[in-house]
Amino acid sequence: MASLFKDLAKISAYRDRRFPGTQEEFEDALLRSITVYVGNMSFYTTEEQVYELFSRAGEIKKIVMGLDKNSKTPCGFCFIMYYSRDDAEDSVKYISGTILDDRPIRVDFDWGFQEGRQWGRGRSGGQVRDEYRTDYDPGRGGYGKLVQKELEAQRQLVDYGTGSLGAYPPVMPPPHYGRHNGGNHGRGGSYRHGRDYQRKRHREDDHHRPDYPKRTYDRESRRNSDHESRPEKNPRFRESGDSDEEDDDDRKRRT
Amino acid sequence: MSSWRSLLLRLGEKCPEYAGNADFKDQIDACHSLVRREIEHSEDDVFPFLLQCAEQLPHKIPLYGTLIGLLNLENEEFVSKLVESTQINLQDALETGQCNKIRILMRFLTVLMCSKVIQPSALVVIFESLLSSAATTVDEEKGIPSWQARADFYITCILSCLPWGGAELVEQVPEEIERVMVGVEAYLSIRRRVSDAGVSAFEDIEETNNVVNEKDFLEDLWSRVQDLSNRGWKLDSVPRLHLSFEAQLVAGKSHDLSPVSCPEQPGPPGALSGIAFGRQKHEAELKYPQRIRRLNIFPSNKTEDLQPIDRFVVEEYLLDVLFFLNGCRKECAAYMVGLPVPFRYEYLMAETIFSQLLLLPQPPFRPIYYTLVIIDLCKALPGAFPAVIAGAVRALFDKITDLDMECRTRLILWFSHHLSNFQFIWPWEEWAYVLDLPKWAPQRVFVQEVLEREVRLSYWDKIKQSIENAPALEELLPPRGGPQFKYSAEDGTDPTERALSLELKDMVKGRKTAREMISWVEENVFPAHGFDITLGVVVQTLLDIGSKSFTHLITVLERYGQVIAKMCTDDDQQVKLIMEVSSYWQNSAQMTAIAIDRMMSYRLISNLAIVRWVFSPLNLDRFHVSDSPWEILRNAVSKTYNRISDLRKEISSLERSIVLAERAASRAGEELESAESKLSVIDGEPVLGENPVRIKRLKSYAEKAKEEEVSVRESLEAKEALLARAVDEIEALFLSLYKSFLTALAEPLHDASRDGTLRPSGHADDMTIDLEDSSVMELDKDDEQPKKSHPNGSGERKGYNLDEKQQWCLTTLGYLKAFTRQYASEIWQHIEKLDAEVLTEDTHPLVRKAIYCGLRRPLEE
Repeated sequence: MASLFKDLAKISAYRDRRFPGTQEEFEDALLRSITVYVGNMSFYTTEEQVYELFSRAGEIKKIVMGLDKNSKTPCGFCFIMYYSRDDAEDSVKYISGTILDDRPIRVDFDWGFQEGRQWGRGRSGGQVRDEYRTDYDPGRGGYGKLVQKELEAQRQLVDYGTGSLGAYPPVMPPPHYGRHNGGNHGRGGSYRHGRDYQRKRHREDDHHRPDYPKRTYDRESRRNSDHESRPEKNPRFRESGDSDEEDDDDRKRRT
Repeated sequence: MSSWRSLLLRLGEKCPEYAGNADFKDQIDACHSLVRREIEHSEDDVFPFLLQCAEQLPHKIPLYGTLIGLLNLENEEFVSKLVESTQINLQDALETGQCNKIRILMRFLTVLMCSKVIQPSALVVIFESLLSSAATTVDEEKGIPSWQARADFYITCILSCLPWGGAELVEQVPEEIERVMVGVEAYLSIRRRVSDAGVSAFEDIEETNNVVNEKDFLEDLWSRVQDLSNRGWKLDSVPRLHLSFEAQLVAGKSHDLSPVSCPEQPGPPGALSGIAFGRQKHEAELKYPQRIRRLNIFPSNKTEDLQPIDRFVVEEYLLDVLFFLNGCRKECAAYMVGLPVPFRYEYLMAETIFSQLLLLPQPPFRPIYYTLVIIDLCKALPGAFPAVIAGAVRALFDKITDLDMECRTRLILWFSHHLSNFQFIWPWEEWAYVLDLPKWAPQRVFVQEVLEREVRLSYWDKIKQSIENAPALEELLPPRGGPQFKYSAEDGTDPTERALSLELKDMVKGRKTAREMISWVEENVFPAHGFDITLGVVVQTLLDIGSKSFTHLITVLERYGQVIAKMCTDDDQQVKLIMEVSSYWQNSAQMTAIAIDRMMSYRLISNLAIVRWVFSPLNLDRFHVSDSPWEILRNAVSKTYNRISDLRKEISSLERSIVLAERAASRAGEELESAESKLSVIDGEPVLGENPVRIKRLKSYAEKAKEEEVSVRESLEAKEALLARAVDEIEALFLSLYKSFLTALAEPLHDASRDGTLRPSGHADDMTIDLEDSSVMELDKDDEQPKKSHPNGSGERKGYNLDEKQQWCLTTLGYLKAFTRQYASEIWQHIEKLDAEVLTEDTHPLVRKAIYCGLRRPLEE
């Protein structure tokens, strides 16, 4: 519709390096696809949450959660198949960049799910982006895998004691819903976040946990709580930007 | 993007392209000097881009119009082509009924007139053709009054141009424009007033019958335009850039504009009656829908104090941006907040977006689009907009008892989604009082359903925490527990059944096939235990295996669905199946809905069985206190409808391919024939037919083309057979749905509607209805007054005093109306059957009214 602002020829800035075909075939697949790729999800987001949100763009046929290839637990992405192209388009248009489970998610057309694509492509089993991250992201298993390993090694040598990590920055400034003439209700938002994320990590209690092997969830959560006492950033590791040399992400980061 | 493009695109915006200079005049000068040079060597690029800008950013048309006026001074040829092309586009849009394009192009022409690019009288000629088409349409003898929607739209288009060029027209061609105005007035006097009954967001039953005093959309616009005229055509919302350049523009040559012709009447003239009229009217209203229905949710002391016409213009701007910038998040939000008007309009903006979100029967885009726009605006105007949105929510909440059921559902979905994007922060303590209301009170149900949807988008503990300022509201949270498996070890269930369930689980673990499971069921279980126990064991156990996630459910249904299908072949058995599902998932409305939906997808459950289950006693009891049964019913109807509309799409695409295939086949045939009929010389002898190799090749082409044609034809026939079945299926579904509604409503309505009304008498929001004659309304004038002056009742909380039965009836009637309205196009196709089998003499007047309203069918025919 609004062709003024969208380069219609360019449907996606990403290119899946594992796509078995030419760039034209890739774009053609994207233009006709009824599958979308969802990224930057929390590891704790369930299929039912995904269903509730994405069914608002149309009837969903199938959801495939992306899994860590070692632990078989969700690793922060998924594929959603719709029945119609229009619905897939609407989900890309209207859901990408909005919040699911406190995180801004990314929704893009995907060239079509094939068996095997549900596994993370990072060295440690998850997504490549979680290999090298140096930030602390409690929704995605804490620090990046490399940082975690390094911290593990350091812990052998130094005792950090018990410090607090401090609040995780809110995704968005909280709105104030005060009556327009009466000022706001004094409801700051940020003090809640640290706690929210801790709650999140206790969601194993939930009866609805997917049936990915239990022990890995436990291990994951232990590891997380260990790292809660770690410093927020380790300058000795690469920033996430210069990391994608070897095994690529499901899609390359947008340039 | 090359710089002339970005200058054109960003014209009128405070942006780096213009070095932050927001002065329109300077911008036009800068843009003009660049574009005029660009035209010299790349006219073919500038031409379409300029038109595109004007058409897709219509709030900036005055700037583009002035620019074109300046270009006209030195490049008449370029501008003349532009005018010509616009006229062609307008003609095309009229023929194809593209409402937005028609409206925008007329505005564009008006602005070009202001910039001396076209003759004012040429514009008037276009007005007059639309006017005369409209007048003919509503003429009882010469026209087709059922198509009034199109006529009204044409008149709306004419009136909508006047804020942009009324002053100029009155100054330059006073007599001609006066003639148009008189014509519009005459048109208004012969058309029928349009009733909002059935499509108004608020249930104003008394007003629909009081229609005499209410202006409809066109009359309202007319009064705004008259007000504008009384003010000497001065308004604030339209920038009048051409005035700054008037000295230059007067020198321009005004171009000719060919007249346009409106499409023929869509059928033979004459006033139809009854069903045929209703059907055509429905079709016309679908093609030429009313763009907005004002909600008036904010009290007048809150909204911006605007002239009537300014309000109209800003609404136009906002709706245009919403329409043309759909899918461009950043730009959409930026243009919404940056309209070229010298006043604030946050309240108007919020109200306009809500009017779209709640527009009946359907908003132009999916509701989730407006969710996104509101989120983006809250981020773009963090200081002002969230509070305005909160004000709108409060206003709608205060009026929720009168809000249409469909609108309530949309509001619940929107609000929960919105809050999920803002950390679920909401001053719930304001609404804690709903706990004192009966459990069927609409406000209480609203809070409960919002919380339900929040939990679905997030998780129970998180939402529990979000209501910590009103902890008592926990009572309204959905149950926390997981599935209720009948045969879980802890329970004291029957040991034999539990053993069977374990055995079945082992079969699944052992990857037994569905066929093996079926014979196990048929040989070992069913004969000994009977249907009910067998069904319980099979369904509960399979659901339990599939309970971990949506995907687990699908997997188990794909693998073992046949076992269930084999057991539940008729509606009775399928109703029992649904009962097992709802018992297993009693703590999760979402999983109940998903499981039933999937089972319908795999055709384990028919839509008729779902209707029967929804209208079973257990569910009837919660019609007014929960959205859950309605959600399941909505899913079932929409799935059936999706099947039929997919088939229609496939058929129309097959029909297109048939035309292509026929063409290809006949071409190949002709080629072969002409080759065969040619004489050629082989071995010195004249032989009929060309080179045999070529003939052979052509023959195979022709055969293949023919085959292709036949195969497309065959698949078309197959699809048409499927469609015929689907049409029967949907007709059966609607008949069963209506009969279920009627049966369910009969007794409660009889009990609840004392004195023919459903609301306590004397109450301001009476859904009063006179049963003897529903077109005459008893209205307590004194009671009506206060409601009018505080349309949203903000601050004053209306006492809720409906008893359970009354509320049950109102809710159920509301859903009846909503279903009818949503599928009106389908239902109109089966209306004869509906009239014969459902809407009989003894149908309760309120039921009849709900259905008629939903169809927008006049009650008094």
